[in-house]
Amino acid sequence: MSDQMSLLGHLRRKLTITGLVGTPIRYYVAVLFFIGLAVAPSTGQMDVLNMLTWTASFYFIMWVISWDFVVGYTGQVSFGHTLFFAAGGYTTAILNIDHSVDPAIGIVAGTIVAALAGLLYAIPALRLEGHYLALFTLLPPLILLRLFRMFRDTTGGSRGLPNPEPLIEAGSFSANAEANYYLSLVLLILIFAIAWVITRSDTGKIFTAIRESEDAVESAGLNPAKYKLFAMVFSAMLGGFAGAVFVHTPSGSASPSQLLELAVIIEILIASIVGGFGTITGGVLGGFLVYWGRDWLRNADQTIPVIDVPMADIDILLFYGALLVLLYVLAEGILPWWYRQVDRVLTRVRGEEPSAVADGGQTWLKRQIGSLQTRYDENREENTGRFEDRRKK
Amino acid sequence: MVDIAQLVTNALVLSALYALVAIGFTMIFGIADILNMAHGAAIVTGGFAAFYMVDALGMSIWVGVLAALVVPAIFSILVYRVFVKPIEDDQIIVIITTILILLMTEHFFRQIEGTRSQVLPLLASGSTDLGVVTVQNNRILLFVFAWISIIAVFLFVNRTWIGRGIESLSMSPRGAALVGVDRNISTMTTFGVAGALAGMAGLFFGVSQGVSWDMGLDPLLIAFAIVILGGMGSIKGSVIGAHIVGSLETVTVTMIDSRLTGVVALGVMLLIIVARPHGLYGRPGETE
Repeated sequence: MSDQMSLLGHLRRKLTITGLVGTPIRYYVAVLFFIGLAVAPSTGQMDVLNMLTWTASFYFIMWVISWDFVVGYTGQVSFGHTLFFAAGGYTTAILNIDHSVDPAIGIVAGTIVAALAGLLYAIPALRLEGHYLALFTLLPPLILLRLFRMFRDTTGGSRGLPNPEPLIEAGSFSANAEANYYLSLVLLILIFAIAWVITRSDTGKIFTAIRESEDAVESAGLNPAKYKLFAMVFSAMLGGFAGAVFVHTPSGSASPSQLLELAVIIEILIASIVGGFGTITGGVLGGFLVYWGRDWLRNADQTIPVIDVPMADIDILLFYGALLVLLYVLAEGILPWWYRQVDRVLTRVRGEEPSAVADGGQTWLKRQIGSLQTRYDENREENTGRFEDRRKK
Repeated sequence: MVDIAQLVTNALVLSALYALVAIGFTMIFGIADILNMAHGAAIVTGGFAAFYMVDALGMSIWVGVLAALVVPAIFSILVYRVFVKPIEDDQIIVIITTILILLMTEHFFRQIEGTRSQVLPLLASGSTDLGVVTVQNNRILLFVFAWISIIAVFLFVNRTWIGRGIESLSMSPRGAALVGVDRNISTMTTFGVAGALAGMAGLFFGVSQGVSWDMGLDPLLIAFAIVILGGMGSIKGSVIGAHIVGSLETVTVTMIDSRLTGVVALGVMLLIIVARPHGLYGRPGETE
């Protein structure tokens, strides 16, 4: 209750003239962006097919958000988030197709199953670090995919299940697409808002602190395991929910290529990293870029010179190549890079001294590795010389 | 009785092939501290290098064997020099990059050759009676070659200067630096050796099951299981782990369901990773 009061109070303060002027421009950009998405179908520029692709991209972005929520903030690596999307999507699809359960109930069940999967996944992950954690998280979706292939009758194997009943129906095909577009947009805004609020709250600060130093969090009397578990389970819920609704829209179905394969999680990872790791907003931007980049390549009608191959024929290769390049060029993330630039320009305009960045803009880990590397290189050079000398004698 | 003998021979051949993949993977992990997912791409490259030698250039399968050793070795070294080296400090980015390389290699061959699996000629025809069981000469050769490579790697790591350098780097980078081991050359050699082993495994899988674009991922995943089981960075552990996983797999696949390929290995690995993360021969301190 007190939380709500303070939130209302906060909003009231923000909604005065001075409050509105003081709000950073990026908030207005975000609001305008969502308003733009909301009015886009009524401008008539969007045909039905386009609308379906937009709908699918919204779910992709929800998954990016759910991944960034746990990995970008608490720093626990996860290559296995597709497990949750599939848990949500397949649960509701199987319930609907085999047992004709209402989609709304199926979605709730899917979300619960995804949350349970998140719990089962997060508990062993607490004990693991580094490479072992990475390997561990890679496995569950791959095992699940194999199990799906084994129980082909229930799960549809590699091809996936046919479309279950839609969650909402609105007469004609185009009206249906539009209804689903708005449903998905509302869900996207909802999930974005939830993730944004939590990561900007005190809990979010604790998540970030866990990423930087678990010992420090522990010494402050907080239990890092509890927060890591919460982050993972909540993220699994968000992802599973998005996956469950996704299979009931005309844009999606419960199939490995859409929910479970290695390529899916890689696209999500890269979207999050390119947009800006641990920012949520960056995930939205990166999600749009990656999804629409993929779509553009798939439908490109240009032909590549020299080797004379139509681009659409080798779209997957080009797409992965582009992602690889993006990973090198934009490893910092578009949004963090942009904020840094804006910050620099603003300080110059205001005539302030540029604020010294204590760590040279690097993360703590990078600096540690960097200093180790230097020390090690120095040692090596010195000793290689000494060793050579001795051998000559 | 004959059934058991058949089972044992199958398990031995399969385990030897898995050991080839796992040794390279674990060596790279030991020396450079990275999970090289592009190792799966080296398997595919090896299979197709041999296939092109035989099919397109009309050479004998033995030239194919040579190609399956050399091409993936060069491929692996290039992967390291071009893609991995600039980012080797960032574990997550390395994993993502190498997965992308794996996906690109797979789709490259899928684009050219389609999804059909291509046939490689057998290394030798006929079969030999070994008393209790009759085995194809081809399988005997696979087994012998795999073991020659495994022993060669053992000797290389334990008896040569470069090999000892590699071993020392995986034990303690600082100690290795103190005695003048060149990290760059050692790492490149490791990638080359690992690539050659993976390529050879690719050829062998190709000979027994056909060469296809998606042949790399399954052995790679099983190599994960083996490496986790044996302890990361330990060659001896990998060979033993390969035999445990290979035997388990042969037994489950023949006795229960052929679609179980990989599931048991991965299940065992999940248990190991939770119960004893450093594996049979790993050192506990290395989990950090």
